[in-house]
Amino acid sequence: MSKLVSRGGAVWPNALARILFAVLGGYVFTYSLTAALARLLPLARIDAAISATLLSFAVYTVFVLWVFARPLRQALWALPVTLVLLLIGFGPQWFAGGEV
Amino acid sequence: MNASLLCLALSASYAGMLALCLGTERHWKQLAAAAPPSLRAWCRPLGVLLLLLALLLSLQIWPASMALVGWLGMLSLCGLVLLLLLPYAPRLALGLPLLGVLLAPVFMSG
Amino acid sequence: MSRQPSLTQSMSGLHTWTGLVLGWLLFAIFLTGTLAVFDRELNWWMQPELQDRQVDQASAVQVAQRWLEANHPAASAWNIGLPTARDPSLSVSAGEQRRGQRTLIDAESGEQITPRETAGGSFFFRFHYTLHMPRFLGIWVVGFAAMAMLVAIISGIIIHKKIFKDFFTFRPGKGQRSWLDGHNASAVLLLPFHLMITYTGLVIFFLIYMPAATDALYNGDRDALLRELRPGAQQQQGAARGGEGGRPSREVPAASAAMLPLEQFIALGEAHYGAGMLSSLSVAQPGRVNARVEVRPLLGSRLELTKGEALAFNAITGELLRAPPPTRTSLLVQKVMAGLHFAQFGGYPMRWLYFLCGLVSSAMIASGLVLYTVKRRRQSAAQGVWLRQVEWLNLACVGGLMLACVALLWANRLLPADLAEREGWELRVFFGAWLAALLHARLRAPLRGWLEQLAASAVLLLGLPLLDLQTALAVPDRIRLGVDLTGFGLGALLALAAWKVSKRPAATARAARRAPAVMAEVQS
Repeated sequence: MSKLVSRGGAVWPNALARILFAVLGGYVFTYSLTAALARLLPLARIDAAISATLLSFAVYTVFVLWVFARPLRQALWALPVTLVLLLIGFGPQWFAGGEV
Repeated sequence: MNASLLCLALSASYAGMLALCLGTERHWKQLAAAAPPSLRAWCRPLGVLLLLLALLLSLQIWPASMALVGWLGMLSLCGLVLLLLLPYAPRLALGLPLLGVLLAPVFMSG
Repeated sequence: MSRQPSLTQSMSGLHTWTGLVLGWLLFAIFLTGTLAVFDRELNWWMQPELQDRQVDQASAVQVAQRWLEANHPAASAWNIGLPTARDPSLSVSAGEQRRGQRTLIDAESGEQITPRETAGGSFFFRFHYTLHMPRFLGIWVVGFAAMAMLVAIISGIIIHKKIFKDFFTFRPGKGQRSWLDGHNASAVLLLPFHLMITYTGLVIFFLIYMPAATDALYNGDRDALLRELRPGAQQQQGAARGGEGGRPSREVPAASAAMLPLEQFIALGEAHYGAGMLSSLSVAQPGRVNARVEVRPLLGSRLELTKGEALAFNAITGELLRAPPPTRTSLLVQKVMAGLHFAQFGGYPMRWLYFLCGLVSSAMIASGLVLYTVKRRRQSAAQGVWLRQVEWLNLACVGGLMLACVALLWANRLLPADLAEREGWELRVFFGAWLAALLHARLRAPLRGWLEQLAASAVLLLGLPLLDLQTALAVPDRIRLGVDLTGFGLGALLALAAWKVSKRPAATARAARRAPAVMAEVQS
């Protein structure tokens, strides 16, 4: 805790925001990207599902690193991107009443 | 047979890491200051060759994809052994591959 | 809001905090995972009633068949667990195959054996991926720790500027410098292992951790996804349960027929999977016209994890009914990755490589935890309270867990064999030892605490061969000797570590002056 405080002024709100964004936001982002990727990959349905899921852990890791490497306001760009990915991934289910 | 191949593979892995280590200026000065400096340029290619030899030996012990896994594991662990020997027993660090090669036939007859 | 720090600064902070907070969990995961590499061997060591009869699988299956014919001639299914190199026991059961309800019989005489109930090496395996929590919660906590490990690894690489220059650098005896060297070296030299083991660990439960593709493409129905993966799998499960499609008890048993001797199916199975690569055999509807024999492989004939796979034969004619279908590529990738984590392939040389790498990884994590405190001990005393917490948590999690693991082995041999609920008692000793170590860590000055706990674990490990000889019921076989000698070797390492700690002046009297005020009260 002392390391967080000693850098002059209240650093911890920024750190806390980043942690929450990285962990929770990261999961949501990865979830959306995996869903979108599963739908977009030009493979058989089962292969697309497996491949996209296998990659997800690398995506999540990179996202977490990125949230800490870039200024927090840049990280907020993840929000609209996530929304778009969710639409790609789940659009057919939400708007066309179910997939398969 | 497997045990002696394993012994040889470990020796080759270790020797390769040792050669790569000697190729760096810091460790050349530490271990081989007495030898002619022009030899240092040969260390890295020699190291790579020895590591490839280790891979070939691994392929005799395990089927293809397993051999790759075993090889990487051996490189890592041999590198660690080298790292620990360097500050405490530099002569043993240099002599270990020879010891390994000498031990290999022992396992074969066993 | 503060200004954006440089990449090195941000990654350094991330590495430190992720490593520290999750490091305690990660050490437990890595240590128990390392011990789980030899889970079958530990299971065997912890049941000294079992003897290695050195019989081949063909003879063993004859013994098993005789027992089953004598005791369960009209059963709907027979299951036989064959003796293997890692586990020379012979087990049999009748009816629906259920874990843990097998009868162990002597592979030579066919007599039933009742070994002591024990947590076994399997305890370390389960602890490794659940941390002894309810399965669902434990898997998620371990998964979270694994993600933190990935973040720590990559951030560690980013901040390690002189990664190639310092590849073989280790300067002992220089305090913080040495700890940093040790942490860097063990992390970098084993980088392929660390990345592989962490990522593949996540891949094992990949659909649980990341259900996005299941939700998007299968409406969240994971069973539908699994069905599409292996169309043959459902049939295999049905057959293993002793009947095709329906519940066995409702079927009218078919007419009797003579089956081929079961040892012939060993040969047929080995033709497909390789010599010595079979783990079990089961017979559905034994002695009847529709009898089927299923032969299951030992995990490890291939890199790919072959759990649940089986060859099916007609028991009367020996005709091959079903071979495992070739796996589609995407699933093959997942199974290979899972196989890399389970480390069931490559025989004992590979198993030892994994074990040694696991030990080094555990040491790497511990060195990071210690490095944190060593670095800050030198800094201002204003950090006293926080540092004190980290110090005792480090000792409790690292030293305490090691002590608990070896205490489990001692408990296994010292608790009476016929104690009721023996497994529960063994676990009580495990967690009791850990709790005692935790309290010890809270009460003692750090260096003295480390010295005492390392020494205690060392003594128990060095004494393991003696314990085995004293409490064994027969001459120790190859497997038990292996456990004894490995334990002895690890004990020697810990003794060396304890000796090094004892040479530090702070480990003795002078610690009282430098430790925070509360410690000075409790000591002396």
